[in-house]
Amino acid sequence: MSAANKTNLASAEASVRMSLQEKAAIDKMFSLYINKGQVNYLKAGHLDVLEHDRNGIRFQDPVSGKMMIDCFSSAGSFNVGRQNPVMLRALSEAADSLDMGSFNLTSRYKTALAKELAAIAPGDMNRVLFAAGGGDAIDCAIKLALGATGREEIISTIKAYHGHTGFALSANGKEHYRKYFEPLMPSFSFVPFNDLDAMKKAVTNNTAAVILEPVQGEAGIFVATDAYLKGLREICNEKGALLILDEIQTGFGRTGKMFAAEHSGVVADIMTIGKSLSGGLFPNAAVIYRDVDILNGYIRKNPGFHTPYVGGSDLACCVSLSVIEYIQKENLCANSRLMGEKLKQALLELKKENEKIIREVRGIGLMIGIEYIHEFMGPMMTDALAQNGVFAVYSGNAPQVMRFMLPIVASEKDVDDVILAVRNSVKSMKTLLPLALPAAKIPGVLKLLNNEAVQTVVFNWIRSAEDLYNKIFKKNGERHNE
Amino acid sequence: MNSNVNANDVFSDLNRYCNPAQMDAMKTRGHDIIEDKREGAFLFDCNGNRYIDCTSSSSIYNLGRRQPELVAELKKAMYETDQGNFPLISSEKALLAKKIAGFVGGSLACSMFSVVRGESMDFACKLARGYTGRKELCAVSGSWFGHTGFSMSLAQRKDKNDFGPLIPECVTIPFGDLDAAEKTISSRTAAVMLEPLQVENHCRAATDEYLWGLKRLCTKKGALLVFDETQSGLGRCGKKFFYEYSGVEPDVLIIGEALGGGMFPIAATIFTARANKFMNAHPLIHLSTFGGSDLGCRVGIKALEIYVRTRLWENAAAMGATLLDGIRNLQKKYPGKIISVNGCGLAISIDTGSADNATELCKKAAAAGIIVAVGEVADTTVIIRPALIIDKNNVTEILEAIAAAVQ
Repeated sequence: MSAANKTNLASAEASVRMSLQEKAAIDKMFSLYINKGQVNYLKAGHLDVLEHDRNGIRFQDPVSGKMMIDCFSSAGSFNVGRQNPVMLRALSEAADSLDMGSFNLTSRYKTALAKELAAIAPGDMNRVLFAAGGGDAIDCAIKLALGATGREEIISTIKAYHGHTGFALSANGKEHYRKYFEPLMPSFSFVPFNDLDAMKKAVTNNTAAVILEPVQGEAGIFVATDAYLKGLREICNEKGALLILDEIQTGFGRTGKMFAAEHSGVVADIMTIGKSLSGGLFPNAAVIYRDVDILNGYIRKNPGFHTPYVGGSDLACCVSLSVIEYIQKENLCANSRLMGEKLKQALLELKKENEKIIREVRGIGLMIGIEYIHEFMGPMMTDALAQNGVFAVYSGNAPQVMRFMLPIVASEKDVDDVILAVRNSVKSMKTLLPLALPAAKIPGVLKLLNNEAVQTVVFNWIRSAEDLYNKIFKKNGERHNE
Repeated sequence: MNSNVNANDVFSDLNRYCNPAQMDAMKTRGHDIIEDKREGAFLFDCNGNRYIDCTSSSSIYNLGRRQPELVAELKKAMYETDQGNFPLISSEKALLAKKIAGFVGGSLACSMFSVVRGESMDFACKLARGYTGRKELCAVSGSWFGHTGFSMSLAQRKDKNDFGPLIPECVTIPFGDLDAAEKTISSRTAAVMLEPLQVENHCRAATDEYLWGLKRLCTKKGALLVFDETQSGLGRCGKKFFYEYSGVEPDVLIIGEALGGGMFPIAATIFTARANKFMNAHPLIHLSTFGGSDLGCRVGIKALEIYVRTRLWENAAAMGATLLDGIRNLQKKYPGKIISVNGCGLAISIDTGSADNATELCKKAAAAGIIVAVGEVADTTVIIRPALIIDKNNVTEILEAIAAAVQ
């Protein structure tokens, strides 16, 4: 672990800092050619940082020189740490003789990864279809279920998050990502998560599949109970529906096991993986399914039902193989479990001390969420954490919840650093709360405070005032010349 | 990596762990080989047999296999950057988006990155609905678009009824029929989408008149005009983009995975600053974890530099014309085997008359040393699309292989 985790102090000091003018030029270019709204939104939360010197669990803000601990990991993509040397060596060697390959042919790299995935996937999930990314994998999985069963209905869960392509978006269980793009796939319906009775009522003889995340991530970290997953398996068996588990965020050691479903022992019919399969380096995703007639039969009838095009490329397969080997060799699943427990305990203590701020701490392995009392506290905490050197984000699906998903290579010392930063952030937030909390009691003000657009405007106003203050007192200039 | 690989082991793993129909499909096309070395216009199987790659993995390898500068850039950039945290600002993303705006020109100034064409098209549909506040998506028949939800709801594909009801308010208008377009496109239409050159559909090309007609209707009714140039763009058709032949600029343009030159999966949806008003008002409403990976952007920036410097579309036009002439001559000789030929630049399609004939042609062509694939929409056709770097000798070799295959 030490190799991947080494903090690159020497090179960080040696690296040239970026001037405010250079940073402003990049912001402007990003605003002009990609999205101005995104720049403003990120600025409001002190998240308009660039990522330099990406290494292990940290990166450097090139303007302030501050090292940031990455508690987001691109939604669980950096499990083995950034610039992991084992993974880099695998890609570098592969790039000496390979490219992405041809989707219509085969290679030993594709079959080697398929074999490895079959070996680590639970139960008899022994067939692999590659996909370009998470959304593409979800679309492939849902199409497989619909095609194989000849049924029309898909049952998803409220607050679920599965992605942004057509089928995946249709399976998202919260209005936020859907509302401007409707109407979506019409035969999708939603039931409350962890509610077996509701699922029992929803699944019919026309249900092709039930789809869910074993731990709802974007929704705000809700862990499916073992009893719920086992119950789902039974309901699906009874009705002849397929069970699809979306392990895109939960896979590859995130929850303390290679896949989250292993905690309950439930074997799904179809499983989707992505994110950390690529090591955060070279895109790759896959659908793994049970080697059974109903699924194989449909694919034999329609082999090209979901061509992967750029998924399962030769270069990606070499990276993925190295990622899996690294997780196993370094026993990262156990580390994720231990470090997750340590972080969770510390956050639970913090909750006890701050009942007016923190409502709940939930999670499993290194997939932990803190839920605040009010939605507006999410952006405030993101801001406070950023100032304390921690990059953590609240989700558009649930702004009152902050996700902590460190790379699972994190050491005890790293977790201590995160705990200290969270403590300090809660402390600094307390100084703002005497203003915000009484205001929140006035009818309408809470709604206003919880409004994303209002937050962006207000926080940007505060940012501008800070920048002006810094300009007058040349604070940034001094920092820049350190 | 040496080539000591046991083909039977690989095939046995393929049969056991992958798509259960792939081995059979590969066999019927004569593609039951193991892709090993690759270089320029060629790929090699593990027995050292050389093939001209005339599939380019569906128009990904426009720059040829393992373009040396791209390989070098990937190997350098991977130590300096990675995928990045997708919600954040990044100089790599910004710079590639700026380069794309310069490369594409006109009013197409803003980019949304993705990994694969389907994702790019799904975003285009969402942008159109979001920007116009309208629901109806209007596709021109014969398009392919990709495999994700919106894309396949709009594409022409045989298995469309396998997946239950798809995205509502998707309509299709017949290709080339302006009267039908006039009747369908209304103030309820969010967007009209088409592949102006339908490579998978016997390289069917939209006429200038048809494209101008659609443009006029879209402008009049306030709908966005979306061109999917995944397979025709980045030089493939003999111009940078097919729409340059007519001069009709779309509101949204999809450029495919050729952007990463086959060394990194990256594609993009390019659109006007006006349409971006919607995205500016709703940032992070559409996300892609791998789309616009910082590492991918570095590779994309280098690929665009190579496209600009080499102007490969000129070579594609010249070599495409020679290849097309050669195939037309073969058609005269073997009219029963080659029913018709269409082509634009280095996207050339042969209609063989039946799906079985098309598969058979792939098989014989493979035996003669070229890898070609059957059209996804028109399954009686075989598509010839080599790297845009091919020279006259390669063209001769391709023609000889086709001649051997149709004899």
